[in-house]
Amino acid sequence: MTGRVIVITSGKGGVGKTTTNANIGTALAKAGKKVVMVDTDLGLRNLDLLLGLENRIVYTIVDVVEERCKLKQALVKDKKNPNLCLLAAAQTRDKTAVTEEQLKDICDELKEQFDFVLVDCPAGIEQGFQNAVAGATEAIVVTTPEMSAVRDADRIIGLLEAKEEIKSYKLLINRYRPSMAASKDMMSKDDVVEILSAELIGIIPEDTGIITSTNKGEPIVNDENSLAGRAYRNVAKRIIGEDVPIIDFEEEAKFSTKLKKFFSKFLNKGKEN
Amino acid sequence: MSENIFAEIYNKILGLFGQNTKDESKNTAVNRLRLVLMQDRTNLTPEIMNRMRTELIAVLSKYVELDKEALDLNIGQEGEQMALMLSIPVIRAKDEAEIEEALKKETEKANEESEDAEAEEKEENNENSESEATDEETEEKQISEDSEISEQGEESNDSEEENKEVDTSEDEPTSEPAESAIDEKQIPKIKKVQKNDSEEE
Repeated sequence: MTGRVIVITSGKGGVGKTTTNANIGTALAKAGKKVVMVDTDLGLRNLDLLLGLENRIVYTIVDVVEERCKLKQALVKDKKNPNLCLLAAAQTRDKTAVTEEQLKDICDELKEQFDFVLVDCPAGIEQGFQNAVAGATEAIVVTTPEMSAVRDADRIIGLLEAKEEIKSYKLLINRYRPSMAASKDMMSKDDVVEILSAELIGIIPEDTGIITSTNKGEPIVNDENSLAGRAYRNVAKRIIGEDVPIIDFEEEAKFSTKLKKFFSKFLNKGKEN
Repeated sequence: MSENIFAEIYNKILGLFGQNTKDESKNTAVNRLRLVLMQDRTNLTPEIMNRMRTELIAVLSKYVELDKEALDLNIGQEGEQMALMLSIPVIRAKDEAEIEEALKKETEKANEESEDAEAEEKEENNENSESEATDEETEEKQISEDSEISEQGEESNDSEEENKEVDTSEDEPTSEPAESAIDEKQIPKIKKVQKNDSEEE
C-alpha cells in the first residue's frame, strides 16, 4: 500500500490547522480509511488534546527518531476508531530535534501502512515548516477570511510551489462567517479564492461547537448536527475523490438577511403607524 | 443626548435597509490585500513603482501630452499571469514637429550630461504645473510674464489658456509654445479617458 502524505499548513498561527487535521483525519477514518496523523509541532503539541489522547502518549516522534522505540510503538490508536492513529510531537523539545530527512523517512515508512498520512505543520515558515513539508506530496493550506491569514497563506503557497515534491495544494477557508461575508463586512470565499488563485477544497463555517468539542477532546465531525462537522466531512469526501458541492453558506446567509430585512421593515412600518 | 440616540437609531435602520449607506470594509480589505500581495510576490516596493512611473512619464511625454496626475501604474493579475497595468489619459497627441523637437532635445541632453539633470527637472516642473494646483501656476506666471509678452505678444489669448502658455513658454523658449497653445485650443481635450481599476471596484 502506498498512502497519500498530506501536510496541513497555514503560515499564520491560530487559523485552525490542528483542528482541521483532527477533523479531516477522523472523518477519513470514519469513511473506512486507515489514517495516521503526525504532529510535527515540536514543543507546542496540541493534536493529542483535540483528539482526547493526551493521556495515552508514551512515545513521541523524537523517541522514534532517537531510536528509543520502534515507529509502530509510538503510534497511539484513537479511542473510538481503530483506523485512526496519532504520532505525537514531543512537548519538551524544539524544532531542531528532528530533521527534514528523518521526517521524510518516517512519512515514507508510514505511507506503506496507511491510506493517509496527515502531517500537522507548525505555524511559521522556518525549519518546522520545512520539516513538516519534507515528506509530503500534497498540501492543504488553511486560511481564514482575514487579511493577515490570507497574506500568510499566499506566502506559504509560494513556498509550496517552489517545492518539487508537493504535487498539489488546495485551499481550506476556515472560520467562515457567511452573514458577515453577505453583508460585505468580511471577505467572501470568492474574494479569498481569487486573491490566492488556489483551488478550494472546502469552507468551514465559524462554529462555537468547535470550542466545546475541543473541551471534550472529541472532533466535531463526530457531531452529526454540527454545520462545521458537516463541512469537514465534505472535505474528507473530496479528498477521497467524491464530487461533493461546496455548501453555499453565503446564500443561506443572504436568505436570512433578507428575512431580517423583511422583519425590520415590518417593525418600522409599525413604528410609523 | 436624545439627538444622539435618534441619530444612532436612524443609522441603524439605514444600515438594515440599504447596504449602500455603510462603507463595505471588505472592499478595503480586498484592495489593501491585493496591493500588499503584489508587493510581496514581486518585491516591487512602492518606491520602485514610483520611480518606474516617473520614468515612464518622461518617455511617454515625448510623444503625447498626458495627464500626469491621472496616469496610473498598477501591478495586477490576469489569471495566472502577473501584469503591469498602465492607464495613460492622453490629453492630446503631439504632432511630428513636437516629437522631433523632443527627440532632438533628448539627444542634446545625452551629449551634455551636466545639463541633462537640469532640463529634466525643468520639464517636469512645467508639466506638473499644467495639471497641478493653480497657486503654483500663478507663481510661475509672474516669474515668466516678461518673457511671455516679448515672445508671443502678437497672440490674442483666452484668459483660460494663458496659464498653459506661460508654462510652455518657460519650458521651451524657442518657437514651440505659441504653436502648442494653438493646437490645444483646436483639439478638444480628452481628460481622464481611463479610470483607475481600483476605483471601479
